[in-house]
Parts: sequence; structure tokens; C-alpha cells
Amino acid sequence: MSNQEPDDKVDLEELFNSSGGHEPTPLKERLKRTADLTLVAPARVALTDWRAVVGTVILFGFFIAGTVGVMLVDRPTSGDAPILAQPFENPNYILGTDTFGQPIGAQLIHATPDMFKMIFAGAVVSVGLAALVGLLSGFMRGTAVDTVLMSVTDVVITIPGLPLVIVLMAIFAPENPYIVGVLLGLDNWPGLARTVRSQVLSIREESYVEASRIMGLSTGTILRRDLLGQLMPYITINSALASRRIIFESVGLYFLGILPFTTFNWGVLMNLAYKGGALTRPEMLHWLVFPMVTIFLMSFGLVLFSQGMDSVFNVRLRARHASTTKNDGGAGDA
Amino acid sequence: MATHYLVKRFGQAVLTLVATVTLSFFLYHAMPGSPAESLKNVILSQAATGGTTVDIERLNQLVALYTNVQPDQPLYVQFYQYFSSIILEQDLGTSIYESKPVTTLIFERIPWSMFISVYAMVIGYSLSILIGAVMAFKEKSRFDSVSSSILIALNSIPYYIVGILLIYFLAIQNSWFPYGGRVSSSVTAGFNIPFMQSIVYHAALPVLSMSMLGLGGALTMRGNSVRILGEDYLRVAQLRGLRDSRIATQYVGRNAILPMYTQFMIGIAGIFSSAVIVEQIFSYPGVGLLMYSAIQTQDYPLLMGSLIMFTTVTVIAIFIADITYGFVDPRISAGGDNE
Amino acid sequence: MSTSDRIFEVRNLDVSFELNRGASRVVRDVDMDIYREETLGIVGESGSGKSMLASSLLNAVVEPGICSGEVTYYPRNGEPVSVLELSEAELKRFRWEQVAMVFQGAMSSFNPVMRVRTHFRETLQDHNRDIPAGMDRARSLLESVYLDPDRVLSAYPHELSGGMKQRALIALSLILEPEVLVMDEPTAALDLLMQRSIVSLLDELQAEHDLTIIFITHDLPLLTKIADRLTVMYAFGLIESGTVDEILYNSSHPYTRALLAATPDLDVPVDEMHAIEGSKPDPVDRISGCSYHPRCPMADMHCENNDPPMEQISSTHRAACFYHEEAAEAIPLRGDGNNPKQKGAVHE
Repeated sequence: MSNQEPDDKVDLEELFNSSGGHEPTPLKERLKRTADLTLVAPARVALTDWRAVVGTVILFGFFIAGTVGVMLVDRPTSGDAPILAQPFENPNYILGTDTFGQPIGAQLIHATPDMFKMIFAGAVVSVGLAALVGLLSGFMRGTAVDTVLMSVTDVVITIPGLPLVIVLMAIFAPENPYIVGVLLGLDNWPGLARTVRSQVLSIREESYVEASRIMGLSTGTILRRDLLGQLMPYITINSALASRRIIFESVGLYFLGILPFTTFNWGVLMNLAYKGGALTRPEMLHWLVFPMVTIFLMSFGLVLFSQGMDSVFNVRLRARHASTTKNDGGAGDA
Repeated sequence: MATHYLVKRFGQAVLTLVATVTLSFFLYHAMPGSPAESLKNVILSQAATGGTTVDIERLNQLVALYTNVQPDQPLYVQFYQYFSSIILEQDLGTSIYESKPVTTLIFERIPWSMFISVYAMVIGYSLSILIGAVMAFKEKSRFDSVSSSILIALNSIPYYIVGILLIYFLAIQNSWFPYGGRVSSSVTAGFNIPFMQSIVYHAALPVLSMSMLGLGGALTMRGNSVRILGEDYLRVAQLRGLRDSRIATQYVGRNAILPMYTQFMIGIAGIFSSAVIVEQIFSYPGVGLLMYSAIQTQDYPLLMGSLIMFTTVTVIAIFIADITYGFVDPRISAGGDNE
Repeated sequence: MSTSDRIFEVRNLDVSFELNRGASRVVRDVDMDIYREETLGIVGESGSGKSMLASSLLNAVVEPGICSGEVTYYPRNGEPVSVLELSEAELKRFRWEQVAMVFQGAMSSFNPVMRVRTHFRETLQDHNRDIPAGMDRARSLLESVYLDPDRVLSAYPHELSGGMKQRALIALSLILEPEVLVMDEPTAALDLLMQRSIVSLLDELQAEHDLTIIFITHDLPLLTKIADRLTVMYAFGLIESGTVDEILYNSSHPYTRALLAATPDLDVPVDEMHAIEGSKPDPVDRISGCSYHPRCPMADMHCENNDPPMEQISSTHRAACFYHEEAAEAIPLRGDGNNPKQKGAVHE
């Protein structure tokens, strides 16, 4: 799928081979190799995958908007500008204004930091819970802990997420974006938890075989060494997907008016425009369209990023696989 | 089919229901203040419009009547009563706003939600299986790469934005479809053609926007099919000189769809979830819209009831899917009996 | 063995794949005859192209591989068939009715969601055979491979052990009464005992059904037990062929001799013939001259610049080496090929 340069692949293989050595190495050297393995090599591969590049650029753009952009653009207030100015007419409010005379572009930018806070809290909670439950359950396979955790996971998978979140939102009416993120994340972890668990189990199987073969390292050591490398792909990709879901759900809830309008949010903009009849009033259409475009862009960035990462990690896994099974399958016999 | 598997899945379904009911009970208690406190204002304002006054004892009675939670009892008694009235009496309490039993309100609406959800799911997944299979057969072709790009883009648009776009282009710019409601007011309800047509006509856009959720499955289907095209048993089937139609359906199709079954089951929960937002956008009067209005009126019994009902429907749907899974994949009952 | 009665005639066969870095020729200019009712063993390292050679006998090289050359099949009655020129529909009839193939993925050769019975039935159905009569035949075939027909037919693939699946697959391969059975590493995933029993099974089946068997493996000792003739492949081409005795005691190609020398005891199979020094040949960047010269102790300038043709040594024995007459002296085998124990093993 990805257009790999052949010499790049060879490099990667060497990297993985050298890090797979069993002789004790100094800490500094080990750290360097780990950095090479987990950061430098994937980054190099990522550069050759257009989806990873475009995704990263889009997300970085949003990051800039949420940090530098907020400082450069004034926080919009009512009456800043003429009411319902059309887009691309005045450079001061290039995306036009709403019925309160607030520039839409500035509102979109000032909604970004809260969006990031929500995504951050939600991704930390969902990925964190998933990793915790998956690891515990995987390590304690067959015990009561495993049974209980997996039952809870199945229960949470089954409960329809959005109605549950809506009930939670209705009862607690959270205003803090971090709390909104946490509540949204609560519904989001079970799938990844199952993946993590099965990864732990398969690594355990492999590690027992390997450990008994080389007779020097304890299973625990190998588990720790392999675990990070094997789980990183899932965690990265799922963080991106969880983020996309949190954007969808939080914007959706603001759009419906279920979350309190205490802050700028893309969904709030959509709600006001939609309620104001933007669909039937062409002069208001831009008020609805630009938030939608923004949501699309951000989730597009996240989806591209996750897909790019997927193929990056696949290349890594393939290289790894190739280096271990190079000699037992014939190229011509395939 | 292994009975052990079914027993386990049934236990799982029951556990989920119990967990949801328990959760909703504790949510009453997690409300700021006690359930009585938090409901007091709502009930008082109701009473004020009715021109009556309410003392504290009467208030507790009303809370118990509406919610099945009796605020003056010890916690475990409260829980027992709440639990038994839901499970044994199928009593989800009474709507504060509409003063009708929650179950009655929900049962009026649930066929409509089921209608659009089921069709959305069937259409979404059938399309994605079809597209994914064609993409796999034409792997690396123009069709494959174009469809992949479109699917990735669609994956980035929330279904409610798809809904808004559909309304704008198909209902407002071109009046091809109605932009809200579930049936035209000009037709008489009953078993007649215009009424049915009107129902289908009104459901088209909500179904279409919800079915976007299932389309992500096309990429999964593509991946599965590509994997199976490389399987040994496929090669042997070709070497055996089997008919192409048999290879496509019995070998590639069947084995590629199987892993999607689980995704499909999880998708059931997702589809019911999306009903809340989609029904609100299209003013489609199903359970989702009921839930939405319950939030607006702080009608907690109705809100909790909707949650429990959503979960129940999902649990039943998943259980049915579980039972049928054993028929399509014999491996699920490993070492099981033969016919 | 009647040497004049050919069933397959292969001429100038090439199989290639287009890769980014150039065409990969995984079978190169193969000429080969296969005789009716013989057992031909094809031996070579993994990656030497022997599986591709086998697949091309059914015109079943996996996409996007391209076959060129001639593969002619001579049916018992009727006109010769040019296999590589058959249409899709003709191929579907040719495969399994004339030539069946059991290949290395036997463990996963059955559709996991269908009972074994369905596999037999659909094969009969798609080849327009009488189903009740065919299913009776399936039962007797399963019995002849020592399986309980009722239990196996109603089982799902995952309910059978590896050896059972392998034997069921052999039964399935004979359901349409083919003339030729191509077996590509059929025993690779089985334990020794199962390998032995399958091999003795093949002998019985061959006699009973007048089969021609083409047996492909890297397991030379196994081949010497069942084959009538051996063909050795190296670097995507044939380098020597002859009767089992000719190859074992009078091999004339340095590679064959190295192979025999690397095989410690002909009664013990080796998994891989790694012991030969040097790296495997590359199917894209073909070296000039003899493909074996980088690893050959006898190679000289002549070998580096010229590709040796197949030379006739006896009426049944051919080898592609300029120095085939000196090879026996240059690369001695243990016991110099006159070990009576080995001889006994071959004829048992």
C-alpha cells in the first residue's frame, strides 16, 4: 500500500534486529534505541505516507489556532461588527458574522482550546481505562478479576452510549470542558480494552515460547519489553479515533442544546444558526456552514492520521515479521 | 449449537439490564441533593400551574409515584422497590410533564424508532458489504482508491451533519422529501397505500443519514475479503474447478462477512444511540425525540425510562444476533454436536 | 514403467512476476516429460520454483504470475490438450477432473464454515456428476484413507486433526477420478509417523486408481521411498533428472551431489537443506553463466560465462553441468554411493 523505498525497509529491519539482541546494553544506549524504534523510525516511515502527513498538518493547524490563534484574535463579543456580514467581504471578519454581530472565524478559533481540552480529557479517560482494564485482565487471565472486568466491558459495550451520556449530561449539566470530555470518554473504552487484552494474551503465549528457548530472561521482562512496542499502534490509532468520536458527540450535544451554552463551541454556533433558520435563509447559511466545515476538517485530520499511523505500524510489523521469518518461507514458493 | 454459549450470552444480557437499572437508580441519588430535592422544583412548578400546594410528605409520595424511588425509606428498601417495580411490574414510573406512565409513552413511540433504525442498519451494512466486496475484488483499481477516499471523507462527517446536508439539498433546495415528521397530515392513518407511502417518504432522509454510520464497515469488509482472497481454501476451491458464483458467495462472501457480525452487533447499540440526534434534526417523533423533550422539561422519570428502554431493545437485538451467529459460524460451538 | 507413454510434456516453460524492481522469473526454461502412472519426485530448496512449476501444470499460477511456453497434457483417450491455452470454462473442467492438486496448505484447504460433506457434494455438483453415486464413492475413498466416512463427512474442518484433514483432502482430490495427482509438500506440516502413513497410502491409491503422481518436496529421503524418477530444481530451473538410482548413486550435477552429501542419513529426513554454503539465488537479478557457479566448488571461467545445457548421460538421465563427468570424483559422497543399506532403503 505505502510506497516504501526498498533501502528504507532494510534500515528498519536492521533497527529491529539490533534492538532484539539479548545481551545487556547500557541504559543510555537502550534509551537511544527505544527512541529510534518508537519515534525516529516511525516518523521516517510516516513521512512517506501522505495520509499521515496531511493528517498531521491539519491537526497541527488546529493546534496553532487553539494556542497562537487565540492570542492573536480578539475574543468576539456582541456588536463587534455589523450583523450578518457575508463571508469573504471584510478582511476583519473574513468568515462573516452572526446575528449578534460576532465574527464567526473568531468564534471558531476561540472554541478550539475547549475542544482540545475535551478531546484530551476524553482520550485520556477512554484510552487510559482501556489500557488499565485490558492489561489487568490480560495479566490475570482466568482469574475472578478477569471475569469481572470483561463482564463490565461487555455491559458497557451493550448500553447505547449516547443516551447514557445524555442522561449523565442532563443530570450533571457540566460546564467545565474537562468534565464534558471525561463523561464522553466513559462510554468509549470497552472496544480498545478487549484489543489490549488479546494483545497481552498473544504476547504472553509468544513470550513463553521465546523465554523457554533462550532461557535467560524472565517472562515478565519480555512482556514489559514487548508490550509497549506492540500496544503503541493500537493506542495511537484508537486515541485518534476516540478523539474523533468525542468531537462528534460533544458537538452533537451542544448542537442539540443538551450541554449548557457557557462557552464558544462549534456545536453552539450550529445550534444558533440552525434554530435561527439558516437552512431557509441564504444570508445566514455561512453561520451554519463554517462550523460544519471546521468539524469535518478536524475529524478528517484525525481519521487520516489514524489511517496513516495504521499503515506506518503495519510496515513496522511487517519488517519485524520479515526479519523473524525470513528463512522459513520461500519467496518463489509463495 | 452449544448451550453453554447461549447460557453465557443470556447471562450477559440479563447482567446488562440489571446494571442499567442499578445505574439509573444511583443516578437519581447522584443528582444534586436527594431525588426529592432535585425533583421538588419540577414537581412544585407542575403543582403551581395546577393551582395546588404540596407539603413534604405529599412531595415524597409524588416522587415515589413518579420515579418508584421512595425517598423516606432506607437505601436498600428504595433500591429493592425501584428494582422490583421495573423488573416485575414493568413499571418505569410516570412522566411528570405528561402525567402518563412512562412505558405507555415509550411504547407509542418505539415502533417508529425501530422502523428507521432497522432500515438504516440494513441499508448501511448491505451497502458497505457490497462496496467492500467490490473494492476487494478490484483491489488497487481506480474504483478501489476512489471509494476508499470517499469512505474516509464520509467517516469524517458526523451523521447529523449528513442529515442537515440532506435536508438542505433534498428537502429545502429541491422539495423532493419532507424535512420533518413521520407521516403527512393529509393522509388517513391505517392500512392503506397512501399512508404507507407517506411513512416511507418521511423516513427516507433520517434512514439515509443514519445509515452513514454503517458505511465504515465497507473498509472492514474490503480488508476481510482481501485477506480471504489469499486463503488456502480459496485457492483449493479454484483448483477444484468450482463455479465462480459459488466461490464468491460461499467462500469469499460468507467468510468475509462473519467477522463483521460482531461489529454489526456493536453497531446495533450505536444505531439506537444516533436515533436521539437524528430524530431531533428531522423532528421524527420516536423515542429519541421523546428523550430530547424529557431533557428540556427535566422529566427525569421519562429520561431514565428511555435509557432503560433503549438498553432493553439493544440487549434483545444483540441477543438475537448472538443466537443466529451460531448458525452462520460453526466454529462458535467448537466441538459441538452434529446436526 | 512404460517410458514411451507420456501424460505431460512441458517445453520452454517460464513463469514470471512483474515486480517494481523488474521481472521476477521464478521458473526458467523448463523442459520436462512426465509418464503415465509413474511417480515423479521434484526436489529443491524452498524458493527454487518447484511449487510454481507444479501450479503451471494446472495453469493455476497465482496472480499476477504469467506462464509462457507449452504444457501439453495427453488424456487416455482423445486429443492432446494445450493446458496454457485453455479457456476459463475449459480450465474449470480440466482441473480436478484430469489433474487434481494437494498443496502445502492442507491444514486450511477446507472452507471453515462448511461441513466436509458439502465440499464433496459441491465438487460433484459443479462438475455435473451424479451426486448419490459420487457420495458413495466419497465414502469408499474416505475408507481407503482409513477414515470413518460418517464421522468425517458430517464434521466441520476444525473438528478434524491435521492428519485427518490431510487424508480427507486426498480423498477429495480423487473424487472426480483424475489421472494425475500433483502433491506439493503434502506432508510438510505432519509429524513423521503421519508422513510415513500418507506415503504408504499413496502407493496403495496409485495402484488402485492408476494414478500418475507428481510429488514435490524438499525432503529428499522421503522422495527416494516413493518416487520412480527424480528431478532436481535449482535456481528456478531443472538441473538434473533421472531414475532414483541414477540420482542417488550416480548423480552428475555438483548441486545434487552437495545435496546428497548434506543429507546425513537417508532414513532421517531433513527439514531444510541449509547445509549447502552460499546464499540463495535471486529471481530478478539473474547472474550470468551457470546459476550454481557462485556456490560450486568446480566452477571456472567457463561456468561464469556460459549457461550449461541439459546433457544426456543415459537414456533416462540428464544433467545441466559442463563437468558432469568429473562431478562424482570432485564431490564424493559418503560411502561413495555404494552403500548397500541405502540401496535397500530405496527398494523397500
